[in-house]
Amino acid sequence: MKGKHRVIVSTKRLKYDFEIRRNITIIQGDSATGKTTLVDMIREAVNNPSGAAVDLVCDKKCFVLDGTLWKEQLAAVSDSIVFIDEGNEFIKTIEFSKFIQNTDNYYVIVTRESLPALPYSVEEIYGIKTSGKYGRLEQKFNEFYRIYGADIYKGSINPDIVVTEDSNSGYQFFKNICDDAHLRCESLNGKSNIFQYLNSHGNENTLVIVDGAAFGSEMHRVTELISEKKGIAIYLPESFEWLVLLSGIVRNSMLNSILESPSDFIESKEYFSWERFFTAVLIDMTKDSYLAYKKKNLNSAYLTDTVKKAILEKMNYINLN
Amino acid sequence: MLKIFYGDMKESIYNTASYFKYDYEDDWIVDPFVKEMIYDVDKSVVLDSGVIDSPVLGKIPPTGLSGGVKTLILVKFEKDKIFNASTCGDNCAKWFLKIAEKEDRTINLHHLMDFGKEGFDILILNTNQIVHTKMELVSIAGEFV
Repeated sequence: MKGKHRVIVSTKRLKYDFEIRRNITIIQGDSATGKTTLVDMIREAVNNPSGAAVDLVCDKKCFVLDGTLWKEQLAAVSDSIVFIDEGNEFIKTIEFSKFIQNTDNYYVIVTRESLPALPYSVEEIYGIKTSGKYGRLEQKFNEFYRIYGADIYKGSINPDIVVTEDSNSGYQFFKNICDDAHLRCESLNGKSNIFQYLNSHGNENTLVIVDGAAFGSEMHRVTELISEKKGIAIYLPESFEWLVLLSGIVRNSMLNSILESPSDFIESKEYFSWERFFTAVLIDMTKDSYLAYKKKNLNSAYLTDTVKKAILEKMNYINLN
Repeated sequence: MLKIFYGDMKESIYNTASYFKYDYEDDWIVDPFVKEMIYDVDKSVVLDSGVIDSPVLGKIPPTGLSGGVKTLILVKFEKDKIFNASTCGDNCAKWFLKIAEKEDRTINLHHLMDFGKEGFDILILNTNQIVHTKMELVSIAGEFV
């Protein structure tokens, strides 16, 4: 499945209206905000299409998955939006992660737990808020809000240390920038090491660069930790490859449209996370050119002053000079 | 004191809503402490042991309470069992501390619940350490979630 899909589900008393735009969406937040009620309403509408007092409007089929027979149920579902309420332990398993990689559904999962086996974006973690009453009936209108806002830091960031989760081209790029500016740069070889690193280091002036497209499972504990420490900032581009594409150094007639609305181009069955898609696009758009991109080893063309400047200019608020 | 085990725990009851459905007792719902919890977290008023007035859903049975309140009720009354408290939002945190003020309680968490900046006593069972501030708690518990 690709694209954005609006879901409107309502009863006399309640209305939810939201848009799903990636293969994995997480809903969390305080108790009694209506997460389980939302899933119950979808279930009711799907199970009793002719007799339910719940209206469900969506251009895709919706489905609620639960219980130990999840795999058998899921085998019969395609091109749908699948909702999973909390209390389903299978969402944490590698088996579930592997299984859904081969499906063309979008998944909406209610959980406060981190799901490291799933590469979900920090941008697709939502809470539910009531934004008033809707229409002439006493109907409460609920919508999603992003738990991690896009613009957390407003001031300029001048780090002494830069750490990246990446150990490949992204790290090699920032290492080169940091060497020029006499800053320390370390690779942590994976997102799960970020918490431990920050936990074992003091309040040093540190910039953490991670792929926002797949950092969802780590976001809560890392932000909880840095909220208690001074001098640590986290920068979350979709991925290093996305940043390169955004910088304007690659010319392609499709690129603006892709960057403007990635979900219209990313087939969820083919790309489990957006990060993988942007890597494939960068490799494809630069092949046979002087900018030919390889994930493992950074092409030296990316370390010329012009290219470095173009990429750094897209990193708002961050000064690595 | 509130005791917390972070991460997967064999003896913990994971699906607390399902457990509550077949386990709750009428007396629990009309307990004054529970009435207060239901009002605070769900903004709902207990009318009697079988009917609760919800501002969103109308008159509902106890099984219609939020997942968070169901788990709080289980933790209060099922003293010898351990429940997955990651079915509860941060707005339940103060109630876990209140329940465990007079009697010890053990809960299982798979995420970092926010118990406030400071002023609490929590025993983290994974490392057998007592913490009093958010900074201490996150630093230790964060390694297990």
